[in-house]
Amino acid sequence: MCDGRWFAPWLLAFMTGAFAQEDYSFDVEQFQKKSFEWSGYVEARPERAWLDRDSALAQLNFFDQTTTSTLDRAAGALELSALYRRGMATVQGTVHSSGTSGDQGSQGETRLYEGYLTLQPATGARLEAGKRALRWGKSYAFNPLGFVERPKDPNDPELSREGFVMLGGNFIRSFEGPLTTLSLTPLLVPTGGDLNEEFGEAGHLNPAAKLTLLYRDTDIDFLILGEGARSLRYGVDFSRNLTTNFELHGEWAHVTDAAKPVLLADGNQTIETADTTSHLLGLRYLTERDTTWIAEYYHNGAGYTEGQMRDYFTFVHDAYDAAQAGDTAPIQRATALADRYARANPMRNYLYLRVSRKEPFDILYFNTALTLIQNLDDGSRSLSPELSYTGITNLELRLRAVFLAGNRLTDFGEKQNDRRLELRARYYF
Amino acid sequence: MKCRFGEGFAVLVMALTMAASAHAIEADELLRQVDRNLAPQSYAMYRKLINIEPDGRRKEYVLFTAKKGRDRMIALFLDPPSEKGRATLRLGDNMWLYIPGVGKPIRITSLQSVVGGVFNNADIMNLDYSVEYEAEALTEEPDAYRLELKARTGAVAYDRLVMRVDREALVPTEIEAYAASGLLIKTLHFSDMKDFGDGINRPAVMETDSPLYRGYKSVMIYGSIEPREFPDEVFTLDYLPRAGELR
Repeated sequence: MCDGRWFAPWLLAFMTGAFAQEDYSFDVEQFQKKSFEWSGYVEARPERAWLDRDSALAQLNFFDQTTTSTLDRAAGALELSALYRRGMATVQGTVHSSGTSGDQGSQGETRLYEGYLTLQPATGARLEAGKRALRWGKSYAFNPLGFVERPKDPNDPELSREGFVMLGGNFIRSFEGPLTTLSLTPLLVPTGGDLNEEFGEAGHLNPAAKLTLLYRDTDIDFLILGEGARSLRYGVDFSRNLTTNFELHGEWAHVTDAAKPVLLADGNQTIETADTTSHLLGLRYLTERDTTWIAEYYHNGAGYTEGQMRDYFTFVHDAYDAAQAGDTAPIQRATALADRYARANPMRNYLYLRVSRKEPFDILYFNTALTLIQNLDDGSRSLSPELSYTGITNLELRLRAVFLAGNRLTDFGEKQNDRRLELRARYYF
Repeated sequence: MKCRFGEGFAVLVMALTMAASAHAIEADELLRQVDRNLAPQSYAMYRKLINIEPDGRRKEYVLFTAKKGRDRMIALFLDPPSEKGRATLRLGDNMWLYIPGVGKPIRITSLQSVVGGVFNNADIMNLDYSVEYEAEALTEEPDAYRLELKARTGAVAYDRLVMRVDREALVPTEIEAYAASGLLIKTLHFSDMKDFGDGINRPAVMETDSPLYRGYKSVMIYGSIEPREFPDEVFTLDYLPRAGELR
């Protein structure tokens, strides 16, 4: 028979031993600065899209193909970053490879997102040369002040993006008093030959600058891009905590001589040139139950009006009918303008709202979010619920759906898909 | 008689007031002494943070911290790779988070959890206790001093703290953190006294449990703490992406 008097001391000894053996070791040496460091991630992203075959953009993309009601594809990505330090110099870079395979075939590409040399002669002074991905502005979803960067995807604003080749510096001074920090970032973004081909016309130095202030607990940036491959543009942004859990931010951008291709109702094309002003006002609010609200109103001064978008979509529908009858010239004209009309948020007024809840029902490492992008001009919208889990070290899982809603001839109503479901598994190393 | 009673009462009130204020000064001095025993005012520090789930599963994070003066601090994640490069800047009550993928610092609040689990930003970016809290009462227990602390502003994560201080080493052995409603949010347990050099002799392990996360435990292990003066320009938004260079 089992005697408890023997069992109890053994149990106590076992428990004491177990606690004493708790592994709290920590080798600091392993994490001290090294001359060479590298990191990266590998990503798998299967997705299914439900096509709206009568939409303008589906007709534009598949006018010469037979389509099914759904499109499946598997996407993958590998991103590697590395840096090498020697004295005051650091060389660092990021290479991004991506590929897709699915109903529309397979494709892949590898691009250098960043690759640059930094010289830091003093803590508050830095010189940089090479390909650099800068992020200007305070907005989460939009970037009216992204004068020297590629457009942000409001559906996934945290995705890494390719930079431009530039020569620049950064000079920081700190002070006592209401002005705590003053920082200047001057840049040159030269264009010529293959260099920064996507930035604009060749043969320009494209000077730009950002002046940053931390003044009375408010972040303020003044930004400018001089005339060159792009027209002169300048702006200002700010961010401030009104209370500890309530942040307010805003952006204002003015672009001189902004040129915009416009397709007229009769099918002819014209270039509209005008000074445009964009602005944005946003907030971030954290509730006591760890729910974060991000809301932004964005006025895109360079965007298309509701009438201009209706003209374009009407033209695409007519061009599709013509293509089915054998005349593909009109749809080729519509395709040539798609990079302006079919890009993210091409119109004037948008509302972005994201509500995210960390660890609902006390499930550790589990997060939920709902993102709404509402077109305030035509009433169409995109709604994206998502679930993510980070409980396994270095593995990030995200399941996301996107539902698009809107009438015919509206922004989201004429997108290629009605809805989309994707699972993203990303492993960091 | 009336007059004498009045004078006597006034003397008694003065004596009580002086005694109370003397006690308050002692409490403040003790709190400041605890702060200096835990770390110098400006330092470089390596810490490991471990979240332990009820089934024994663990997630570990390694942080480098640079602090200057009363209220300037940077905390940089060095491990695991999924968090590497994430850096938080604190200037007084203002906090910003830099995530390498996002590419620019964004303003955050002190209550926001950076990594999930029992720890939040305030635990990782904590300033001296005497900067954030006012000592309201000091009592003595057989083996510890008991300090009752009240947040100086609403920007502090916990409204009240009850700190038990070792009578000899003058470092905390246990801290209970309460919300304004009186709800116990978490309890911090300090253990494993270690000599870090430069006269810093303090607990190397801080374990946290919370009635809000029953069965879960978070542990902070202090690997190294060294006094170090950083230039002011380090504690700026433009420097934050390069915080790794401070190591």
